[in-house]
Amino acid sequence: MTDPTPDEAPIATAELPDAIPRVGPTPAAGDLPPGAGGAVLLQVTDVVKHFRGIRAVDGATFAVREGTVTSLIGPNGAGKSSLFNAVTGFYPPDRGAVTFAGRSIFRKPPYAVARAGIARTFQLTRALTAMPVIDNMLLAAPHQRGESLAGALFPFGTRAREKQLREQALELLALFRLDTKADDYAGTLSGGQRKLLEFARALMTEPRMVLLDEPMAGVNPTLGRELMAYMQRLRTERGMTFLFVEHDLEAVMANSDQVVVMAQGRVIADGTPDEVRRDQRVIDAYLGGAGG
Amino acid sequence: MHELLPLAISFDFFNGADFWVGVGVLAGIYTVLTLGLQLNVGFTGIQNFGQIGFAAIGAYVMALLVSDADWSFWLAIPVAIGFAVCVAVVLGVITLRLRADFFAIATIAFSEIVRYIAQNARGLTHGNQGVQDYVATWRSFSRDVRHDVLDGIGMGGVEFNQMPLLIVTWIAALLLLLLLRHLTKSPWGRVLRAIREDEDAARAMGKNTLRFKLQSLGIAAAVGAFAGILLALQTPNVAPDNYLPLYTFIGYAVLILGGLTSWWGVAVGALIVQFVLEATRLIDFGLTESQTSSMRFIIVGLVIILLVAFRPQGVFGKREEMVLGD
Repeated sequence: MTDPTPDEAPIATAELPDAIPRVGPTPAAGDLPPGAGGAVLLQVTDVVKHFRGIRAVDGATFAVREGTVTSLIGPNGAGKSSLFNAVTGFYPPDRGAVTFAGRSIFRKPPYAVARAGIARTFQLTRALTAMPVIDNMLLAAPHQRGESLAGALFPFGTRAREKQLREQALELLALFRLDTKADDYAGTLSGGQRKLLEFARALMTEPRMVLLDEPMAGVNPTLGRELMAYMQRLRTERGMTFLFVEHDLEAVMANSDQVVVMAQGRVIADGTPDEVRRDQRVIDAYLGGAGG
Repeated sequence: MHELLPLAISFDFFNGADFWVGVGVLAGIYTVLTLGLQLNVGFTGIQNFGQIGFAAIGAYVMALLVSDADWSFWLAIPVAIGFAVCVAVVLGVITLRLRADFFAIATIAFSEIVRYIAQNARGLTHGNQGVQDYVATWRSFSRDVRHDVLDGIGMGGVEFNQMPLLIVTWIAALLLLLLLRHLTKSPWGRVLRAIREDEDAARAMGKNTLRFKLQSLGIAAAVGAFAGILLALQTPNVAPDNYLPLYTFIGYAVLILGGLTSWWGVAVGALIVQFVLEATRLIDFGLTESQTSSMRFIIVGLVIILLVAFRPQGVFGKREEMVLGD
């Protein structure tokens, strides 16, 4: 009864399916030179979010360029997850500005942020456990007329789209070696498989940018490296943009074009992995408490 | 002999076809009422404990439009249902943002508010006396059906008085059941199930979850209002005491018995609960009348406790969805 789990699988080498559209400019061959990438895709300016008396995010400013991988790091309680939730609309920010592809998404509800082209995953996986894997995928697809009451009542025009989405979903599941699990309940998947499902599901929304909240947390090192490899390929082959919160500094330094460092609700450093590594403020924040 | 048996059954009732026709009508009405709960609780994960409030609104609006405003009965029905849907949307906009348990409390409060208004706004609702003058159109329709159709098959007698209502109720119940089943098999139903599983995940996938929850509550209110109208034809009296929260809870008993997410389970559950509630009238427990009527609810309660303990998915529910939903 033991299925081959992705945990033991080799680093992803399968061809990326056509189900994943090209969303950004093709970056130069090989790794991007520091500071490169397309135009600014996500701009966060002076964002403030407080909960009662506590300023979780206290005026954070940074930009993410299209076609890059940016990571957001900082000690515990630095406000990384709060900033993530403020950008995606789960905790509407109190002040500041957030623009995505030139349009404001400041205080937009989560569904509107998602429709604008930002997909996100959660720190603890949020597989819809009492639904089949394939339904988890189909749900994520945009532009479904069958999701309106009229479309549900008269499904004649919606079946072709449903069929097309099903093929698209199966292609994506095959990429993550979950296609044999398509009709199983998501609750029967292992923790690693759920992480992959959540990643595949995020891609199903046809995002321009993907926000990953601690993708390596609770994942064995092999699967973690595999997730990072997928991320790199999606960036180089499809021009997708990534922003991820992560505690694993080795993974951060190896995979990011740009690193944004937060401490006590503020951005204290922002640059290439090398620049950030040498920055005295960063060393202080990690070793001695900010400003120590 | 009779006195020696502690649980003797009296067969007097079995002779009365009207008794069983009445049981069938009530089972049909509970089916319609609980279809709304199934959509809310089973598919959307919103704990609507105010379903009987929508039934009250449907019944009162219909009855008052016909008796006090001289509207046509047939026109009053859709208007009453539409009114209940509007109330549901207003209620939903205010309360659906609340956490699940607070929403449940708010909906009980809503149904009690409706009942207290019915009791106390005497100028409008006639208070505890209730409304009666709305059944003429239905009675003549019912009489026509009995003469034109039922006479021919030997069911024209006075004991089949409620036969037309039984037929109409069950046709409506089955049509609504099939309609809701059709709706929930669509991508729309998939979004509802996603909200039930994890609303934040659904929002992260671009779904405007409040809109879907409002639609779910609105449809539940519509079928609830329709159940209220059918109940008004069965009683036939629209009075506050017909809309106690107890009846919502019986709807939940039907839901649990039939099984969450099972549409056919609603109809079967309603038949079983109504049969148990009424058939236990026929058992002579050797108790006083009021003790016997309490005993009926004790039996229904026991059945549900045993069911939850040994078969939590109900008669038709999917066990996987119970076990894996976390």
